Amino acid sequence: MKDLKAKIAELKKKFNSVSARVKDEKSLQEVRNTYLSRKRGELNLLFEEMNALKPEKKSQAGQMINSLKSYIQERLEKLKKEIAVKERPVRKIDLTLPGEKGYCGAPHPVVLFQQEIEEIFLSMGFSIEEGPEVETDYYNFEALNFPPHHPARDDWDTLYITDDLLLRTHTSPVQIRAMEKRKPPIRIIVPGRVYRRETSDPTHLPMFYQVEGLVVDEGITFANLKGTLERFIKTLFYEKIKIRFRPSFFPFTEPSAEVDIECIVCGGEDEKCRICGGSGWKEILGSGMVDPQVLKNVNIDPEKYSGFAFGLGVDRTAMFAYQIPDMRYFYENDLRFIRQFALK
Amino acid sequence: MRISLDWLKDYVKIDRDLSALISKLDMIGLLVEDWEERDSDVILEIETYANRPDTLGHLGIAREIAAVLGLNLKEQNWPLIEIEQETSDLIDVQIWDENLCARYCGIIVKNLKVGPSPDWLKKRIEAMGLNPINNVVDVTNYVLFSTAQPIHAFDLDKIAGNKIIVRKAGESKTLRSLEDKNIALSPEMLVIADEEKPVALAGVIGGEESAVFEKTQNIFIESAYFDPVSVRKTSKLTGIFTDASYRFERGADISFPPQGALMAASLLTQMGGEATKEIVDVFPKPRKNKTVILRHKRIFELIGLEIDEKFTYRTLSRLGFQVEIQQEGTWQVLVPHFRIDVEREADLIEEITRFYGYDKIPATFPPLRELEPSLDKNRKRVNKLRQLLFSLGFDEVLNFSFSDPEEEASFKTKRKPIEIRNPVSSKASILRTTLITGLLENILWNRNRGAEGIHIFEVGNIYFWEKESSREQARIALATTGLIGSTQWQKKSKETDFFHMKGTLESLMSDLRYEPFSFQEKDHAFFEKGHSLALLFKEEIVGYFGLLKKNLLDSYSLDDAVWAAELNLSMLFGKKPQSFQHVPVDRFPSITRDVSFIVNRSITYQEIKEVIERLSIPHLKTFDLYDRFSGASIPEDKVSLSLRFVYRNPQKTLLAEEVDSLQQKIINVLKKEFNFQLREGGTEVPSKVRSKKK
Repeated sequence: MKDLKAKIAELKKKFNSVSARVKDEKSLQEVRNTYLSRKRGELNLLFEEMNALKPEKKSQAGQMINSLKSYIQERLEKLKKEIAVKERPVRKIDLTLPGEKGYCGAPHPVVLFQQEIEEIFLSMGFSIEEGPEVETDYYNFEALNFPPHHPARDDWDTLYITDDLLLRTHTSPVQIRAMEKRKPPIRIIVPGRVYRRETSDPTHLPMFYQVEGLVVDEGITFANLKGTLERFIKTLFYEKIKIRFRPSFFPFTEPSAEVDIECIVCGGEDEKCRICGGSGWKEILGSGMVDPQVLKNVNIDPEKYSGFAFGLGVDRTAMFAYQIPDMRYFYENDLRFIRQFALK
Repeated sequence: MRISLDWLKDYVKIDRDLSALISKLDMIGLLVEDWEERDSDVILEIETYANRPDTLGHLGIAREIAAVLGLNLKEQNWPLIEIEQETSDLIDVQIWDENLCARYCGIIVKNLKVGPSPDWLKKRIEAMGLNPINNVVDVTNYVLFSTAQPIHAFDLDKIAGNKIIVRKAGESKTLRSLEDKNIALSPEMLVIADEEKPVALAGVIGGEESAVFEKTQNIFIESAYFDPVSVRKTSKLTGIFTDASYRFERGADISFPPQGALMAASLLTQMGGEATKEIVDVFPKPRKNKTVILRHKRIFELIGLEIDEKFTYRTLSRLGFQVEIQQEGTWQVLVPHFRIDVEREADLIEEITRFYGYDKIPATFPPLRELEPSLDKNRKRVNKLRQLLFSLGFDEVLNFSFSDPEEEASFKTKRKPIEIRNPVSSKASILRTTLITGLLENILWNRNRGAEGIHIFEVGNIYFWEKESSREQARIALATTGLIGSTQWQKKSKETDFFHMKGTLESLMSDLRYEPFSFQEKDHAFFEKGHSLALLFKEEIVGYFGLLKKNLLDSYSLDDAVWAAELNLSMLFGKKPQSFQHVPVDRFPSITRDVSFIVNRSITYQEIKEVIERLSIPHLKTFDLYDRFSGASIPEDKVSLSLRFVYRNPQKTLLAEEVDSLQQKIINVLKKEFNFQLREGGTEVPSKVRSKKK
């Protein structure tokens, strides 16, 4: 009996080490045959041995062998599952075949760029305002301090509809409309289409997009204008970009400033740079402190309130940012051009 | 404005090198756009502004340079060789219209030999990019480019009656120009006339008959101040734009005409002429200098930086302003006549800031005070709609707002187009009344460049007259033609069609929660009969879509079918979409039943749908058409339809038996209504998606 007990223990030990080496169906079958075969299986041999025992010992031995048997069966069943998982038949595939391409439409670059601009100002607490494209002479010019017959109007070549109606030459008239409508503080940007009487060429178009901005409140200063526009430009381009404010003239601002940024293409290194003409600077924004007369025109007291305004051409700036050589590309709507901006 | 560095040095000592000078000029707002070396000189191209006519001459630029460098302008000396005759004895100058001519000066140079200019003068004229003509013409140009004061020279012997009359043209109809053409005069134009007729268009151009020619001996020099608006109007009406009119229309220096006449006469006497004594100066209403009050604290309030009072005082003085300190912090500033742009305190503050340097002003962020809330839902909606269309494979385009009236007419939009009075071209002379024309041009452009499938949209305005006022209406238009997607090894591309467009619009409406919407069969001028639908929301037509008419496509030389849609976003966004609410997800399984049947082609899907809907079958959650088939196995006038029904009870698990009886009810009604036959395999037996119980 003692002998049998030791044998059972040894057999279990042996089974454990053999079964640990089972890798596939074939070796599993071998192990199964070795231990569970009805004829010469190790367990059967044990049962035969058991039969030789005295009846009082028999039942105890039987229990021990049965327990080993079910241990082996369970273990083999588990192994079978493991092997089945491992050996599940998988068809071999050519992994080098191209992946399935999805297709997504692309945004128009001007809309895309305009939204980038808008988002920066929205994050600075500006809101978006819109106005009509067919404007009156009053809003487009007079209220903005362009007297009739003033040569300053020559810089804004105008498409007229009637004596009094025109296609707005800038989004600035919306400044006036906004100031008529609400009281300061005002902090708005105005995106939209504007028109000039120009023949299309690589750098001019009869229609393009502009974003105008206006801030009016108590104590607004030129320093605030600089702070706001520098923040904007750095966010739109990059943090270390060089920015220059330069005196200029707009009838509706005083003092006025034009804002130049360093040429992102040549950095001023290329004397024949197509983008900056070798100056190293690229004009990007017009701006200034809202002219006191403009504030008076909308019944805002210039002694109490001050403000700044600015404007930039979306197309022109997008052209610079994406290094597009010809502005007309934007309105040819060649899908090979537009689809590139799906990547932006 | 072209500026010669040598010429500038006549007025101011410049001891900086060129790049330092250029950066100083840029800093004070005289942007040097370009420069070139020319012989020993340097020619600068300087940007000038409409409000600064004083910078349209070398003197004005020199004045700015002197101020920024802290230098004084050189003294000018214009000696005359005089004869013993008073100018006023030889010529009678009269101003008949003081409003249009505030000042008129003149002097006579006699016994001059007209001929080539001396070399120094030729060089100056060439530096301005002009060809030297003769000493008289060159001297007048020299004074203009030096001082921005236009000068005109008349042949004194051709001035009838020795009279110079500044008057409106009135009855005089024409002036003979140097090119031997007749300039048509209108009565309001200001002219210079002699006793008989106009001899020059005031401030714009001289006439041929009084012009200096090679045999001229005696010259009358005009140096005047003309009203800017009058000169501008005359220029525009006659189409004649000259260096003189460019300066007068911006506003000349009213104090300068005597000096201008003196300069010209002095130069001509150096070339052999003799000047008469005393300049004639008709100046009926002498003008005082403007005065502006400057409160020093306002500089800080507007700029955000303390600027030293000494700096302010010095800058203004150097620029020619006279400063009288009235009381502490409040100054009275006398503005020189040449600074027509300075009228208010803000203008002075700009001068001070400009010379202080914009770069020295700090950059600070404005206080973020609370604003009136502004919610722009439409922008959000447009954006959502764009994102959806990108995901559906539509590319975005933008077209000009202009349109060709002929093209537009063929579309018969019934909207009255807005015409541009001075269009760039006749093909762009109205504003678009539909977005579809633009999309068709885009399709043509891309077709011609090999695109196989074109699926595009544009969001933008259309424009039209509504009664007397102009209207702008936001729209979206879509067009689809050709293949959708590219053929890949495990996915074939397919041709776009009506239902691609319909599905796109359905997604668009559901995504913006404009539900329930509906379609209605309706003819439309753009689309083939029987191939268009109107899209309705809250009983109003939001837009149309369909197959574009052959003749419209023909006019763009497009052969392939194009489906297009145009929706009125102004109207749609004016309506309230369905409010968003969470809907509980199904907790109990649903049961699906498929059924296929053959029915007459003439029966529309809508009819079948309505019949099923009318039954109000309990627990029927959805039903959809998942297959439609016609072919050899089916008679020609029939079509096979397969519908999938989904049942669900939110309270408990449905039993298959319950569903079977509901489904049978539907089948029975459909059989009765449409006389349909169940298809073999399309079955009354529950389909492959079974309830677990079965």
